[in-house]
Amino acid sequence: MVDYQELKSLVDLAVDYASEKVEGIIAKGTIRRGSQIRFSQSQIDIAKRWEELNLEMFIIYKGAKAGFTERSTTSPEDVRSAVDETISFLRVLPESMFFAGVEDRTLQYRKIEGRYDSKIDEFTDRAPEIVNASIQAALDEGARRVAGALKFSKEMAYLRSSYGPTGETKETSFDLNVRAFQEELDYSGQGLSCGTEPTKSEGEMIDAGARAGRLSKQAVGAVQGEPGVYDVVLSPTVAANVIAHIPATANPFMVLIGLSALGDRMGEQIGPEWLSVWDDPTLPGGVGSRAFDFEGTPSQRVTIVEDGVLKAFVHNTTTARMYETESTGSSVPMQLIQGMKMLLPDNSNIVFSNGDHSLDELLEGSRPTIYVTCNWYTRFQNYQTGEFSTIPRDAMFLVRNGEMTPIKNIRISDNVMRMFSNIDAMGNDRTQVWWWEVQTPTFVPSIRVRNCRITAATQ
Amino acid sequence: MVVLRDASDLLEYCLDLGRSLGASYVEARFEHKASRGLVYRNGEPVSGGMSPLAGIGVRLLVDGNFGFAAFDRLERDLAEEAVTAAYRMAKNSRRPRPIDLGEPVANKAKWTVDVRQSLAGVDIETLMQTADEMNQQMQGLAQYTLMLNPTVADKHIMTTEGTDIQGHLEHIFMFVLLTAKGKTGSEQRFLDITQCGGWERIKEGRVIEKLHEETVQLQRAASEAKAVKELMDGPVDVIVGPEVAGIIAHENVGHPSEGDRIMGREGAQAGESFWRDLKIGESRVGSEAVTVCEDPTIPNTGGFYLYDDEGVKTRKRTLIKQGIANEPLLNREFGVVFGRQSNGAARSSAYNREPIIRMANTYFEPGEYSLEELFEDVRLGVFMKNFQEWNIDDRRYQSKYTGCESYLIKNGELTDTLIRRPVLETTSVGLLSSVDAVSKELRFDFPGTCGKSDPMQGVPVYAGGGHVRFRDIRLGGVG
Repeated sequence: MVDYQELKSLVDLAVDYASEKVEGIIAKGTIRRGSQIRFSQSQIDIAKRWEELNLEMFIIYKGAKAGFTERSTTSPEDVRSAVDETISFLRVLPESMFFAGVEDRTLQYRKIEGRYDSKIDEFTDRAPEIVNASIQAALDEGARRVAGALKFSKEMAYLRSSYGPTGETKETSFDLNVRAFQEELDYSGQGLSCGTEPTKSEGEMIDAGARAGRLSKQAVGAVQGEPGVYDVVLSPTVAANVIAHIPATANPFMVLIGLSALGDRMGEQIGPEWLSVWDDPTLPGGVGSRAFDFEGTPSQRVTIVEDGVLKAFVHNTTTARMYETESTGSSVPMQLIQGMKMLLPDNSNIVFSNGDHSLDELLEGSRPTIYVTCNWYTRFQNYQTGEFSTIPRDAMFLVRNGEMTPIKNIRISDNVMRMFSNIDAMGNDRTQVWWWEVQTPTFVPSIRVRNCRITAATQ
Repeated sequence: MVVLRDASDLLEYCLDLGRSLGASYVEARFEHKASRGLVYRNGEPVSGGMSPLAGIGVRLLVDGNFGFAAFDRLERDLAEEAVTAAYRMAKNSRRPRPIDLGEPVANKAKWTVDVRQSLAGVDIETLMQTADEMNQQMQGLAQYTLMLNPTVADKHIMTTEGTDIQGHLEHIFMFVLLTAKGKTGSEQRFLDITQCGGWERIKEGRVIEKLHEETVQLQRAASEAKAVKELMDGPVDVIVGPEVAGIIAHENVGHPSEGDRIMGREGAQAGESFWRDLKIGESRVGSEAVTVCEDPTIPNTGGFYLYDDEGVKTRKRTLIKQGIANEPLLNREFGVVFGRQSNGAARSSAYNREPIIRMANTYFEPGEYSLEELFEDVRLGVFMKNFQEWNIDDRRYQSKYTGCESYLIKNGELTDTLIRRPVLETTSVGLLSSVDAVSKELRFDFPGTCGKSDPMQGVPVYAGGGHVRFRDIRLGGVG
């Protein structure tokens, strides 16, 4: 097996070998080991293990003729042949309209705290026990059936650019998703736990099971929800999927291909005056935290929304030059299709300002309010204008005149820009969300949105 | 370090290792995918790339517990470490109810999709020329992004029961994101036009012509579509084209028929299924006009295969027969749970994913009507040719489809009046029970990538049917 020192020498070889033939190259080698335990009907279905070694290379053949390759490569001959093959491919490609250079300074990087769990190898053997404890916690709270998945991984990576930057990372992460059910299909609840240090989070993982069980019990007797216009309170899980869509599309590439509603909104008030949102790669314990980006630019906190005003996009060197600004250290090899990545800006951790209300306070009031604890299947009719719908799943409640009634079978069918501007209160429960439906780690509290359109099946 | 260049040797090594550790069943699968990709925005190149993806996935059964290990270098010591770890984790799982795979399967076969001009031999200049031709069709739109991604995949599956299957697939994955701006605002379409087979599929699949038609239609929708109030005054008839019929077959029928979902295995991810509370073979979920099938064996379809990723020979499955829930999709594990046999529905998206129950090509079985006969009977209604936004709950019971190119039907005639974004928001049973007629043709107008599981597995599928008529539907919203 290739160890980390050998991996480094393969990266160095790729850079040295390619540098003789092309204008520039950035190479990154990663060794990753991942595990997952999946469970349903309160028992483990399968335990999985992945061993991966990946060599990513972004090669600038000449000018803006640039392209990407990645593969599992373990020998010097394979590295040379991967470089040669990619150069042959790039030679005939036209210049990219989306490449205007990469980082060419060698800079210092800050240390990111809380990014590695040194005891993760011990966790592998204990993981089934944690899963079973989480299942039991859900059952103890009144669940009848429990399903979920616990995933955890560690990786070491070495990056070197022919333009100067080099860097090393060592990271661990985990996420647990527990879903508890009653015998009926309709009454369910979810609990999540995610982060970077699983051995320090075992209590939280068990709590996630308990929360799922509790919510599934509270959902018993849910009645058909009625369509109409309601205030809604979105749990952090839902807010991370729906409301965080706005800062997640504060991205020049998204704008240019038509997947963002923010193209001409810079400097405008798009949310309440007390709301700020950052992209923050420096946050201790953030699953997306990183000291530097793929180009070797130091990562930095970016204020996307300040006091409700759209202030900035995330950038890499290319988009920064296109927008006549500075890179924010957000360059990522983003997969566009199978086998093809491109250096594009992307988020690290999206971080919302915390609110100052308890959940009870958010749910108080004279207007009928729907509390949504989980959602899935968000789809847009039009990304540029923001019309979309999403399906609340698991426990949800109608709060009217101080009474909470479980409801079911409704859909949020609204406009995400309108919802963002209609935020009128936030909870003091900011938490990190990273799961199946939220791919960018997002720190967000519960959020109340005024006048949200709720629909339901007509027959 | 022992590096093996021949995957077959390592597959056999994994089988031997798993068996010697004490596994009662071991399945080892080598996959190699070679992909090239070109991406354009408004006709200008964004980037290109090429990457092979290869490795071995090993699944083993230990005292009725599944373990799965995947590794990407063909090295014996890596195989040993991964398989041993998966064995240990499986052994620690201690399921109260052991997994049973039923009768042993020992198939030996080689299969391939029909290919005349292999994608492996198509040079980059030809890819770029075709991309240019595709981009030309979309000129005039406010924004358009093209992703062209020919991929050649080979797999080899061996098991301790004696299965030895080799398969070969080629796909031209093609996706476009279109934005049209017109008098009534902007309209977007995310379109998958993937073909399965060799380079000849570009012509045979009418890829260039389809892109041109879609561009013209989207521009019209952005310029002319409008709300028609009388459609909201009461129930109307809705006729959907094969694309919308396909997504309904996939979402409202195919997904809930998946055996693992029905039994709760996808509970925390893609969800469970309203089929759980039905009696298969007895429960009515649609009108007599509804027969929905699943068939991976149709040549040159997105979901084509002949043997699944457990080595089981696949076949056509009739999911709903004349309105009655008829047959679930099954792999070996859930074949036993249902007291049936696997019907060859186990697929994995790559070497590093476990095989799970998936759809392939899902469609409304053709009926007896001509298209004219479907329209002539409608006093007031909507013809929803295609759609953009859609979703469905995780029991697959409440769905929403929002039309993109949709026309008014009045007094038996299909008019030129474009309706803005009509919404079919119904339950599965409510929708399927309102079908009274299906047209004679069968078209797979909906290529797609079906997502399921955690880690996510996206697999290519086709969906389609003929035109389908739904009676007395109350629309969810117009304009």
